[in-house]
Amino acid sequence: MDRRKFLKTCSVLSGTACAGGLPLLTGCSQTNALERSPLKGRKWGMVIDLNKCLPDCNACAEACRKENNVAFFNDERYDIHWIRKVGIKEKDLHDAAERPMLLLCNHCEDPPCAQVCPVQATYKREDGIVIVDHHRCIGCRYCMIACPYNERAFNFKENPDWPNPERPKRSHGVTESCHFCAHRLDQGMTPACVETCASVGANVIKVGDLNDPDSEVSRLIATHPVKRLREDLGTEPKVYYIGL
Amino acid sequence: MKANKIVVAVMVLIILSPIAFSAASRLLTESPKPFLERPDAKYENCIRDTEYMRFHHMDYLKEVREEYVRYGIRDQEGLNSCKECHASRERFCNRCHNTVDLNVDCFGCHYYPETAPATSN
Repeated sequence: MDRRKFLKTCSVLSGTACAGGLPLLTGCSQTNALERSPLKGRKWGMVIDLNKCLPDCNACAEACRKENNVAFFNDERYDIHWIRKVGIKEKDLHDAAERPMLLLCNHCEDPPCAQVCPVQATYKREDGIVIVDHHRCIGCRYCMIACPYNERAFNFKENPDWPNPERPKRSHGVTESCHFCAHRLDQGMTPACVETCASVGANVIKVGDLNDPDSEVSRLIATHPVKRLREDLGTEPKVYYIGL
Repeated sequence: MKANKIVVAVMVLIILSPIAFSAASRLLTESPKPFLERPDAKYENCIRDTEYMRFHHMDYLKEVREEYVRYGIRDQEGLNSCKECHASRERFCNRCHNTVDLNVDCFGCHYYPETAPATSN
């Protein structure tokens, strides 16, 4: 066999070997997990009816803290809010009454936080929930800069309390935000804030499947004038407000 | 010539001494065994055989965690299931981790009691 023929045979053989072996190398278990994943097909969204929100009630935020072990030190430098209640006023009217407003992660369809995350710790799940993998977060805080809603928080200090031992808390040096209580949604329950809001009797917050036209959130969006925050940015938030 | 040979022999002894020391200490000290206890009878056996768990529990936990966090597959046994039978971290995880001077950061975020009353052996 001459040199030319030998090289030709070698290249053909190695090429076939590579082509055959590539699909084996590139994450077999990942595709397997994707197939088994129960998340496909759904798109979780939230509707908040601000007209019903009780002025002195903060039950949703407290329930969220208890469910998800969100850090609270009574010191605004370190406090973390996954859902928070603020008062808003009409800008040009001085004597306008303050109205309650609930702010939480908007779970954008096109999330800037997930786009900028250098380690893909923040990502969008198949069902549209934007969630942080705290095992992977390196605490660079790029997501906090990217989020136009300022809904990301950094753990400057570890939470000393552990109100819900069933759920993990976060160690020092990772960012976090609301994840629609993904663990509860996966088990067929509603998020802690929704449950508490219903038990208080206000029924302000509703969570449901936006892909399903018969779900409560889809009907509310279809029948009410809804607004989302900063729609001009093109992030396509999935939190809809009635009466904003 | 003879002095040279002695020097070489001493050098070889000095070089090999750490290996000999660690081998001797391994022979003399008992290797730690995780304490098995069953606070409730949820599981009959461990989810995998002992030999696999001893060497690959971290791989298993990592795999389950990835599927749990990324793909929402929540029906598998993970770190939370361990404490059904191995109630305390001190008598289970720490036994080996302390011996090999390994610090895992699982428990900064995941609840696993450091000490719990022993129920059975």
